[in-house]
Amino acid sequence: MSNDPPRPPSLARIALTFAAISSTAFGGGQKASIREQVLALGWMDRAAFLEGLELAQILPGPNILNLALYCGQKTRGIPGACAAFVGAAVPPFAIVLIAGALYFKYAGNPYVHGALRGCALGALGLTVANALQLSWDERADWLRIALLAITALAVTVVKMPLPLVLIVFGGLGILNEYARSRRTQPAP
Amino acid sequence: MNATIAHLLSVFAELSVLGFGGGKGIIPEMHAQAVGTYHWISSEQFAQFYTIGKLVPGPTTIFAALVGYAALPQRPFLGAAVATAGMFLPSSLIVIGADRFWARFENAPWRAIFSQGLAPAIVGLVWSSVWTIARGTPSGPLAYALVAIVAAAMLRTKVSAPLLVLLAGCVGVVLLR
Repeated sequence: MSNDPPRPPSLARIALTFAAISSTAFGGGQKASIREQVLALGWMDRAAFLEGLELAQILPGPNILNLALYCGQKTRGIPGACAAFVGAAVPPFAIVLIAGALYFKYAGNPYVHGALRGCALGALGLTVANALQLSWDERADWLRIALLAITALAVTVVKMPLPLVLIVFGGLGILNEYARSRRTQPAP
Repeated sequence: MNATIAHLLSVFAELSVLGFGGGKGIIPEMHAQAVGTYHWISSEQFAQFYTIGKLVPGPTTIFAALVGYAALPQRPFLGAAVATAGMFLPSSLIVIGADRFWARFENAPWRAIFSQGLAPAIVGLVWSSVWTIARGTPSGPLAYALVAIVAAAMLRTKVSAPLLVLLAGCVGVVLLR
């Protein structure tokens, strides 16, 4: 299957493939769905997909949308990227608008209001879990733990704006990582 | 109204190009702009829109559409479309533009240095997001217990994230009216 030469899909096929994924998959499951689909359909090989995954994660924007754009562009150029954008962005937009219309209609109802407050605590719990998991992943280097703690304080207490946060604390993190890479692999 | 459209576009376009780490880090800044600077919505609405973003398929940041919807009550669909375009188009254009240069930097060491180096700041921003969302959710022992249970279930069980949110909603119907 993965030995087949890549065959370029139609633009409609690209849009529909990503629409099917973006309207049904949640969170991390989406990346797996995209991987499964593009490899099964023979749009690209595994190496090209992994390259795209790295691009999608390093650049700003939702990973899923970036990955869809990359796959569309890899197979059909800029029109393919546009088709992927439509497929990946329009269904979630439509679904969230329906949810929003219901929200504005019924949020005043005490039962709905209670449900929303409970759901919001659930979403807060998910965010706590995410923060704990990501922090645990950093445990090997106390400098990185210190940096993440100082970032959280600077944003929460000092209200430091996001561009400055990324320049100062992102920059310090990159410097730290650069120094570490120099220590572990001395320049030839 | 035109001023609001321009503000929506500029706020979300800025968040879009700063949305490193999949956009996990932009929540505190979005709150600062949408609730603090422009008063489009309350902290409680912000937390609930974020929750809807977690409940629907697709990227969480699609909840930008709801901020736009509320910011422009006379033309809610226009507001939603403008906010969503601002949120997704700039980062998408960067991805499309980067494709030409990307192959040239294959195996370049700075790629790993950049994404690894940025990670602690992004994680710090996720902790700030916890604080940001908590400003719009109920407080008290019951609420904190629910948050802790959902977080533990997310880390320790295979129950899906949207289902956990809905289960917390069921608790809310009974106890948080």
